[in-house]
Amino acid sequence: MSDQSNQTTYWKSLNELAQNEEYKKYAEREFPENATELTDQVSRRSFLRVMGASIALAGFASCRKPVQKILPYSRQPENMVLGEPLFYATSMPFQDSVTGLLITNNEGRPSKIEGNPDHPASGGRTNIYHQASVLGMYDPDRSRSPRHDGEKVSKEEFYAFAQEHFSDNSRRVLFIDEASSSPTYHRIKRDVLNTFANAEWVTYEPFSENNAIEGTQIAFGQRLRAVNHFDQADVVVALDDDFMNPQSGKNSVENALKITSRRKVDSVEDSMSRVYSIENAFTNTGSYADHRLRLKTSQIAPFTFALAAKLSESVNGLDAFSGVSNDFSNHDWIEKLAAELLNAQGSSILTAGAEHSAETHAAVAAMNLALGNSGNTVTYHQLPYRENRNEHEAFLNAVNELKAGAYDTVVLVGGNIAYNAPADLDLAQALGNVDTAIHLSDYYDETSRVCNWHINRAHYLEAWGDGLSFTGQSSIIQPQILPLFDGLSEIEFINTILTGEVSTGYDLVQETWSSEIASDFNRRWEEILHEGLDTETGFGTETVSLSGNFSSSLQDALSQQAIDGIEIAIKPDVRLFDGRFANIGWLQELPEPMTKITWDNVALMSASTAEKIGINPRRSFRNNDVPKVRISAGDSTIEIAAWVEPGHADDSITLTVGYGRENIGRVADGVGVDTYPLRTTENMFVQAASVEPTGTTYEVASVQDHHTLEGRDMIRTATLDEYKEKPDFATFESFHGFEVPGMKEAEARGTADQGPVSLFTEQYGPEHQPQWGMTIDLNSCFGCGVCTIACQAENNIPVIGKREVGRRRAMHWIRTDRYYEGDVDNPTAYHQPVPCMHCELAPCEQVCPVAATTHSEDGINQMTYNRCIGTRYCANNCPFKVRRFNFFNYTKEYLTTGDDPEIIQMAMNPEVTVRFRGVIEKCTYCVQRVNRGKIKAKIATGSRKPEDGAVKTACQQACPANAISFGDLTDSNSEVSIQKRNDRNYVMLEEMNVRPRTSYLAKLTNKNPELT
Amino acid sequence: MSKTYEYVPEPALVKGNHDFKDITAMVTDINMRPTPTAWYIAFGISNILLLLLLVSIAYLFWEGTGIWGLNQPVGWGWAIINFVWWVGIGHAGTLISAILFLFRQGWRTAINRFAEAMTIFAVMCAGIFPAIHVGRIWVIYWVFPIPNSMAMWPNFNSPLLWDVFAVSTYFTVSFLFWYVGLIPDLATLRDRIKSKFGKLIYGTFALGWRGSNRHWWNYEKSYMLLAGLATPLVLSVHTIVSFDFAVSLIPGWHTTIFPPYFVAGAVFSGFAMVLTLMIIVRKIYKLEDIMTVDHIEKMNIIILVTGSMVGFAYAMEFFIAWYGGVEYEKAIFIIRATGPYAWAYWIMIACNVLSPQFFWSKKLRRHVAFTFVISIVVNIGMWFERFVITVTSLSTDFLPSSWGYYSPTFWDVVTYIGTFGLFFTFFLLFLRFLPMVAVAELKGVMPQADPHNYDNDGNYVPPKVEIPEPTRKSV
Repeated sequence: MSDQSNQTTYWKSLNELAQNEEYKKYAEREFPENATELTDQVSRRSFLRVMGASIALAGFASCRKPVQKILPYSRQPENMVLGEPLFYATSMPFQDSVTGLLITNNEGRPSKIEGNPDHPASGGRTNIYHQASVLGMYDPDRSRSPRHDGEKVSKEEFYAFAQEHFSDNSRRVLFIDEASSSPTYHRIKRDVLNTFANAEWVTYEPFSENNAIEGTQIAFGQRLRAVNHFDQADVVVALDDDFMNPQSGKNSVENALKITSRRKVDSVEDSMSRVYSIENAFTNTGSYADHRLRLKTSQIAPFTFALAAKLSESVNGLDAFSGVSNDFSNHDWIEKLAAELLNAQGSSILTAGAEHSAETHAAVAAMNLALGNSGNTVTYHQLPYRENRNEHEAFLNAVNELKAGAYDTVVLVGGNIAYNAPADLDLAQALGNVDTAIHLSDYYDETSRVCNWHINRAHYLEAWGDGLSFTGQSSIIQPQILPLFDGLSEIEFINTILTGEVSTGYDLVQETWSSEIASDFNRRWEEILHEGLDTETGFGTETVSLSGNFSSSLQDALSQQAIDGIEIAIKPDVRLFDGRFANIGWLQELPEPMTKITWDNVALMSASTAEKIGINPRRSFRNNDVPKVRISAGDSTIEIAAWVEPGHADDSITLTVGYGRENIGRVADGVGVDTYPLRTTENMFVQAASVEPTGTTYEVASVQDHHTLEGRDMIRTATLDEYKEKPDFATFESFHGFEVPGMKEAEARGTADQGPVSLFTEQYGPEHQPQWGMTIDLNSCFGCGVCTIACQAENNIPVIGKREVGRRRAMHWIRTDRYYEGDVDNPTAYHQPVPCMHCELAPCEQVCPVAATTHSEDGINQMTYNRCIGTRYCANNCPFKVRRFNFFNYTKEYLTTGDDPEIIQMAMNPEVTVRFRGVIEKCTYCVQRVNRGKIKAKIATGSRKPEDGAVKTACQQACPANAISFGDLTDSNSEVSIQKRNDRNYVMLEEMNVRPRTSYLAKLTNKNPELT
Repeated sequence: MSKTYEYVPEPALVKGNHDFKDITAMVTDINMRPTPTAWYIAFGISNILLLLLLVSIAYLFWEGTGIWGLNQPVGWGWAIINFVWWVGIGHAGTLISAILFLFRQGWRTAINRFAEAMTIFAVMCAGIFPAIHVGRIWVIYWVFPIPNSMAMWPNFNSPLLWDVFAVSTYFTVSFLFWYVGLIPDLATLRDRIKSKFGKLIYGTFALGWRGSNRHWWNYEKSYMLLAGLATPLVLSVHTIVSFDFAVSLIPGWHTTIFPPYFVAGAVFSGFAMVLTLMIIVRKIYKLEDIMTVDHIEKMNIIILVTGSMVGFAYAMEFFIAWYGGVEYEKAIFIIRATGPYAWAYWIMIACNVLSPQFFWSKKLRRHVAFTFVISIVVNIGMWFERFVITVTSLSTDFLPSSWGYYSPTFWDVVTYIGTFGLFFTFFLLFLRFLPMVAVAELKGVMPQADPHNYDNDGNYVPPKVEIPEPTRKSV
């Protein structure tokens, strides 16, 4: 870390400065290859050309600031215009699937991530992990060098060690890695296993799809991946499966895109699929579902079997379940769900949460087969890289052997098993005892500290690689920048172990692909790089049939009972997953989509469970203190804040992992509670536990303190049937029973199209084109929060920390409000993204004493930061409370963290001003994108009116539900104009007559009349 | 046919049968006696508080407004509350000196100097807050319409800008008015003081006053003109302060009742503050003959009237919220009375509406100690009124998702306490160096100044006034 802090360069002559080693290194690092001549012998001419600016800066810098060098291109690379970002296709690996992305690259710095529209797992959309990964790369706390026994060493020392150590092919080596789909990785892995005869290679992911795959093994006798085609389904039954969120679905983006596309309603003619969710904690998928049933986690399996038993009465292939009778056999839902599924044979989907037992997944697979869904809405695929074994059992066996001394060397390719493996394995101890343990990881983490060797890993944005999408399309991962901290990628790492030599990732990937690409390698290679994927690839679809011994292998599970008393379910965290994203500030500060908590994990429980435990379920509006509980299961006990979540199942507590870190980084350390100690090999998911209040309290920073709508009209909703009967149900008049005040007068004047009569000069200027506007379809939004992170990445929004968020000063320009409606035990939840409404008669503009916020002629409510004096009057007068104030110099704190702030500064968008203390900021409709679009249109066509879709806001572009439309309102064919003409279009606070440019499309639910 | 009515004389404004010389001595001797130890102690304490204010402002400038408890829904907190509160206190002075002057209320002369001084210092305290509460203090001058390289005017639509003009005008006129009134008394001091330095200073500020007829003529004219100028300002300044709220669209702020309601509240709190200070001062400086119980009673009646007006305004707000039918307006008033800030609301009601009702009793409104207690209670109540208005409306406005609680921090409290340091520092200097009663004016309302209706012994003989009996014709 300190190699940058000691950088202040003192120089006596130009010569000396030019010879400065570090300077040359810097130049190499910041710019892509061939962008600068400095890597070669410095020629006098080019040197002088680049020196001007840096000399000036260096002169200043030696007085008080660290030297910062800027370096223009001495020879402009092709296709590059300074100030114009370039876009490169790449893919982000997440476990064993990749998602295609487009990276915005500003002069060699990746700064913003978007989805690759051509990639099936993305469709141009992203999730929060993708958006935040760019900050993950610029994380200054990432490990910066290999370490041996805790001491920093050079990479060469590791190479030397590896060459020597692995020259002995008879070594008993245990490889433990993370799930990966990379063809290159698996090619080298095969070579490794061939070379080292005594080696074993297992994969451990704390949250994997292992049980789902074992489920198909039980059902079909094959280990297959189930892919759900939600766009084809009329009925979706999610059994504790939050498939729209990234922590539970590796292809969450595709899932969300598909399920919402099947539920888009443009007119009364449209239909929607019906989604049922049976779950424990309230998830986004549950809130999106038309019907939600709350069940304890341990009740999901009996419920599934009861459903299968019911279906077995009507369809063939479920004989294994006939006669099953349990607590749910007579449940109200079973009969109705069964009827619904039978009606939609071949067009329904059953899906279960990945953590549920293999038997549950087997039952789900059998039902999908029996209902004729297989091959239609659900397809099954063989994973070419996956061993045909129960990977989790293989891992446990390997660990037992390791403890028995079967291995002298352990190679950990990624992962953090000392932290996230089942607690009873005590891997920290086991790794400490082995002779040689080598750990490749991003951070010098819990596992690295017990290994002899730690190797710093390169980020996916820094290194060459490849991978397969969830459905098998192969992509090449191309780096966007040279490794900031000189890390090794997985393939380079295992290749070094295999060969003892140093090969670049580029060569390794090319080697793999040269055998894949039949002819014209270079052209095809470049094509794949450009497109981001090889469209001709994809997993083959397997035809499945029920396995012969299906019935017998299920017998034991069928009599399984739900846990009596209080259970705890340990789940991956929506934001941090298994803890791997713990040091990314954007994710820590993103409000958890349902609870709206930031910077913490909590024990979620229902109000009645809280009362049962003996804590007050009511949370104070006045302070952030919540009671703590002590949870004991097995030998472990943790103390964690209790959080009452409306709609949570009773007698059940949901915990998420990834928190309670120490010495990982400035962001992750000390945040939340580590819940992994409760997770054991026996109880990976759900177990009985005893819970008691500690009597102490804990401060939790939540961004929303009031959770009901108080009967107000911000959210307007109807069932599909009601909508068809009354398409204009969402208008003000329909909702309130009277017309907007002032509308009659406006009609008399003939100005009704602009809204009610107003005292103010009309700011709406249709004579100027374009006029920008936005719609947000609440029928599509499921509240994932990716818009917030995308906006934060695009607009350089600072991370302010738990204390400031707890003081209600969160800076997000677009927030997602979540309201509960109905019974506290079983409410409906609504999500509403709220950016600036860009009111035509903006109340903020009228009250600013210095005219720092004004209207642009194309209808954008502008904020002039350097005119703002910070009276906060505009924020007070904003009825939507979307304006954010820099109470402190947040940006400075955020961008000067640690000793080498320039690293995190590189993540900033150069087109957006960073804001100083004391000014208001807020959503600008991504005015930098708007203006770029206008300039481009002007150059191309001479008109400042970009064609529809040419300008996308960051939130719109990221949204996996396609809920946000943005565009020109003067173009009646633009997407946003079409959306605004939708019957369901409404604006918030219409009676205030502020005339918001951002409007909402009312939410619809497709209720089953039998169940309401 | 006519009937003779007895004219009921007002009780003498100055008790104790003092002559002019006595009055001069009573007031100006205070300035000429050696400084009492108690004054030094009080001044020392005030200075410490003033230092506290300076430290908290310095820290505020260094760190940013984040040191206060402000948050996302509640962008204005104690700073604006304190601003409105101090400005309100400032009201009494100008009302007493200008409006009561125009209405020829002779009793004002005993307290006008004193109340005007209080006004000026209170407005100084008030003026600090809108300046320091901004995020970027170093560009605060942008609120003034001065030519600049940006070629930009401030936004004349903004009530905050009107505030800048209203408060600065008010301060200027109040100050001038006060100074003009001081001139004859400064001359008195110049003539009486022994020290050369004192003579020089007082003489300079007395502007060569010799008490000639022409001087008096000019003085009376200018005083009258300034009173005429100041009178609309009394009404306008708090009207404009109330526009900060009323012009916005936040429920609970956006009401047309605010201007009269704020002015009534300001007079209410201003009189209470004058009473608080006066009751102490008349005791310490033995001015009970000048600032008499009759004065206290009159002021208590004004407190009763304005307190009831404020109470009426509270009731009207509720009525209009219901009658107006705006759901957000309805909700905010219910939340004020029953929600998270109900404690503040009921403190406000108890202090502002209930406590003045004791003054229906003549005995209580002539009871000095009781008045002292109520005057303090009223100012606590008026502070809470501003708190309730500013904070509750913002904390629970339109979108329930944005609702959030506001609590002050240490620095909010310290800054507020610090302003008392500023106020009392100036006030103590005023008591020490300037005549705290308008001696010349006071003499003008003494019986001796009105040499009619006395018999040869100097005893007052009430005039017999003939008032015609109303006749059918005249009605």
